Amino acid sequence: MTDEAKPEEAKSDAKPEEVKSEAAKPEAKPADAKPAAKPAAAAAAAKPAEPAAPPVPLEPAKFGQFLKEHGISSERLPDSCGVETIVVAADQLEKAMRLLRNSSEIKLDLLLTVTGVDSADTFDSVYHLWSYSHLDQLVVKVLTKKADVAEGELPAVPSLANFWSAANWHERETYDLVGIRYSSHPYLRRILNPWDWEGHPLRRDYKQLVDALNDKNPHSMR
Amino acid sequence: MFANGDEIFKISRLTIAWLTIIFTIVWMVCWGVGIGLPMLLTQQLGDQANLANEILRAVTPVIAILVFIPINAMFMVLIERRALALWTVRKGPNRVGPDGNLQTAADAVKLLLKEDITPTGADAAMHTFAPILFFAPSIIGAVPLLAAVTNDHPLFHILNLPTGIFYVLAAGALPVVALVMAGWASNNKYSLVGGLRSAAQAISYEIPLVLSLVTVCLMAGTLDLVKIAQQQAGGILNWNLLGGGALVGLNQAIGGGGAKALEAAYPMGAVSYVCAGLLVCSLIISFWLYLTGACAEINRIPFDLPEAESELVSGYNTEYSGMKFAIFFLAEFTNLFVVASVTTVMFLGGGDNPIPPYILDKIPGIPQMVAAIRESFLCQNLHLINPETLFATLWVIAKVYGLVIFAILIRATLPRFRIDQLMAFGWKRLIPLSLIVFIIVVFAREFVNIHG
Amino acid sequence: MATEIQEIDLKTDEMIINMGPQHPATHGVLRLLLTLDGETVKHVEPVLGHLHRAQEWQGQNRTWFQYQALIDRVDYLSGMFTSWAMARACEQLDGVTVPERAEYMRVIVSEMNRITSHLLWLGTYLIDLGAMFGFPFYPFREREKLFDLLEEIAGQRMMFNYIRIGGVLRDPKPAWFDKLKAFLDEFPDRIDEYETIVTQNPIFLKRTKGVGILKQSVATDYGVTGPCLRSSGIAMDLRRTRPYSVYPDLKFDVITFDKEGDTWDRYMARILEMRQCVDIIRQCVEKIPTGDIMGKKQMAGMRIKAGEGFAAVESPRGVLGCYVTSSGGEKAVRFRWRNPSFCNLTILPELLKGCPLSDIMAIFGSIDIILPDVDR
Repeated sequence: MTDEAKPEEAKSDAKPEEVKSEAAKPEAKPADAKPAAKPAAAAAAAKPAEPAAPPVPLEPAKFGQFLKEHGISSERLPDSCGVETIVVAADQLEKAMRLLRNSSEIKLDLLLTVTGVDSADTFDSVYHLWSYSHLDQLVVKVLTKKADVAEGELPAVPSLANFWSAANWHERETYDLVGIRYSSHPYLRRILNPWDWEGHPLRRDYKQLVDALNDKNPHSMR
Repeated sequence: MFANGDEIFKISRLTIAWLTIIFTIVWMVCWGVGIGLPMLLTQQLGDQANLANEILRAVTPVIAILVFIPINAMFMVLIERRALALWTVRKGPNRVGPDGNLQTAADAVKLLLKEDITPTGADAAMHTFAPILFFAPSIIGAVPLLAAVTNDHPLFHILNLPTGIFYVLAAGALPVVALVMAGWASNNKYSLVGGLRSAAQAISYEIPLVLSLVTVCLMAGTLDLVKIAQQQAGGILNWNLLGGGALVGLNQAIGGGGAKALEAAYPMGAVSYVCAGLLVCSLIISFWLYLTGACAEINRIPFDLPEAESELVSGYNTEYSGMKFAIFFLAEFTNLFVVASVTTVMFLGGGDNPIPPYILDKIPGIPQMVAAIRESFLCQNLHLINPETLFATLWVIAKVYGLVIFAILIRATLPRFRIDQLMAFGWKRLIPLSLIVFIIVVFAREFVNIHG
Repeated sequence: MATEIQEIDLKTDEMIINMGPQHPATHGVLRLLLTLDGETVKHVEPVLGHLHRAQEWQGQNRTWFQYQALIDRVDYLSGMFTSWAMARACEQLDGVTVPERAEYMRVIVSEMNRITSHLLWLGTYLIDLGAMFGFPFYPFREREKLFDLLEEIAGQRMMFNYIRIGGVLRDPKPAWFDKLKAFLDEFPDRIDEYETIVTQNPIFLKRTKGVGILKQSVATDYGVTGPCLRSSGIAMDLRRTRPYSVYPDLKFDVITFDKEGDTWDRYMARILEMRQCVDIIRQCVEKIPTGDIMGKKQMAGMRIKAGEGFAAVESPRGVLGCYVTSSGGEKAVRFRWRNPSFCNLTILPELLKGCPLSDIMAIFGSIDIILPDVDR
């Protein structure tokens, strides 16, 4: 992985490019839930996986404010390509999601994906929310610190599958590939890999079972 | 649209070539065993050869059928594939032999050489016995048809039964048992479902099928296939398809009988005419009912649920391979042929020429040609060609293969029913309809003087 | 009736049938574990993964340039859309401006690809319904012509690798547009031809009307998108509701049906969509400007700026999304596909509950999934 190699360089030119692209084709992203004022700290980090990185916490935008009004605290991350990104604590996830989905003013009722990301020091469970009826979009993340996960255990995140069927297979897939255990999932089994597969292939520490032939092959992609 | 005249030409060429070969071979074998050899024996041995000649004549039809069925099935598979290809804008088999004409011969060799697998847990005896039981009735059923389609040729006269159609139907009902056996013995759930479906389907569709044939028998007043075929002689108006004899009077009137013939045939004036019209409608409906029922009986699209490929993989024959599968395959096409032959004999006048004789005789050259054939050496001395049988057989071939092509066209057009819709269609539509037709025929035939 | 059965103690067992992965009609290698009561489906469990090729893993272990060539395989019937989703996600991150001609070309080729995908669906769906040998080959005739056109500009018939990050690969010659126009003039007649054979066929109507009704509430709960959703009466078509590329400049309407969508509606939605595609391509061919077609230099070691982004396109099967996390290196940190087939397949157990065995394929086929898109 080369992601640690040039973080400074990446930071420095991320911001202007992003602005330019938005100016160039405004019609391409009509759905930008752009906050009214982009705080200066937005430029600080384009890397999502480090919640500790921004020195000043960002002001909550539309959805963060909405959740705050309903007593759910969320932390705002720098926008991902103009889409509001918030972090919700694991124990408040289900409540937050129910609110976002069912409240008549927000109604983010299309759960596009549940993604597991094995970041540098956290396991992220990323939810992309859209709406069937309007253009808002939101990215919700649940971060589990790797330090908090006991040896031999899987990071646990509450499951949405019991009230949101769309999450069912996505959570199974994330469990399968990234190894995030969705507690209270009705049927948390591997979905893409065989049931007896060992390990979770998209983890950073995953050791690919390599046969002897490939091991010796100097051109092997592995 | 798309230029496929070339393809049609190729298919016609293929059909004519194959049919010529098939029927020449079959007739040569029949003639050799039934006429040629006895003639030779009589010449050499005199009266001592009588017993041998009797035996030879008795086995002739069996040999004819045994020779005919495999090569005919091969041809039908080929024509089906080519015709389907024609109707589905693609090329059919065109690699093996000239124009792919030997494709099915190669397939047959392949199937015979393939390993014959009996799946684990299958009932081996039943698994083996099922294709045999499936195939046997189609041969048995074909036997009495031989006399009917050859215009009661003396060689096949022995096979004619007074209750011919009854016998054919009885034989046609047997394969269901084999399908259930095959489904059960295969130790495969798809096969089982396929077998059970075929049982349900065959039982439901047998009823309209039989009722439609009973309607015809009612009109003809006999169960004898040969008699039914001979009654329809004299042009398309005499065929059972068009009223089963209700139009005979009209035919005679046109042919020169005039008003007298009309009066004789329709003694009650307007009532008789209405009844004749009713009979024509009923018999056309009967024909359609028979085709529908027969399609279901022999598991062809749109009624091929027992082997519904998208649901049951291949239904009852999922677990069959090699020879056993070949027999299933053979029997399926033989069944199609038998059904087409029954339709021809029962509805389409058997070997009758659709053009009535009073027109035919006026066409210059035809009577002379028939006379020339009759007086030729081949007919007089060797009994190789008999004009009655020859023309009857040619018409039968044309009609039977026309129906086969029609079945292929249906296959190329329609999707498949669902099983509950199939049963509903059978029980709620076809059976009441066939009963209604039956009752109409029972009463209407009293008012028309049928068959003179 | 039920009490009578209990009284005489008639007991029937449920039968578990394993449909697939080797089954002629599961569109590849989907495996369905069916619990049947007679011929009625009690329970369905789809078992996936027989075609799992670790596409996401490969995205993280191949360079951007290498991975571009691979992703057509994610959904091999509509490769343009997977390329496009990835290209859009990466362009967002990288801030690349795509030349307008390239955007028009993208719309043209992807709408052509949409037609090919729907044509294949039409043919195979009729096979699912049991029209085994007849109609299914007619759509393939037109599909071939489209593939010939696409091959001419992309060099490949199905794995196009034509839409690249920053633009498109090649600029077609003017003669290509003439051929395309000739096809567009002819194609509506061909659709009429299909409709003559299929749409009002009584057996087809019997098999599809009122079968596999997808209620709106169920569809939204399961996150269904694409023609399946629109035939259930929700007008969500990304090309209109969240327009991207040059779709705002084009005139077309979202195809929806008023009532709750059954199988026949899903069929009709796709037929209408094909007609609509013809319209869209026509407009594009008229409007396409001249100019550059590539906004980013294509090279083996190209990099995408750090950040994360999600971009989606309306593929023939629904919302095809791509979530990319980059650290500015040669490879992605995380690639995640939001595959419409995968999400639409989740409704299958819901739709199949209580339907007869024969309807499994009628319903399953109408969802129009494609297995590499499900398993990745």
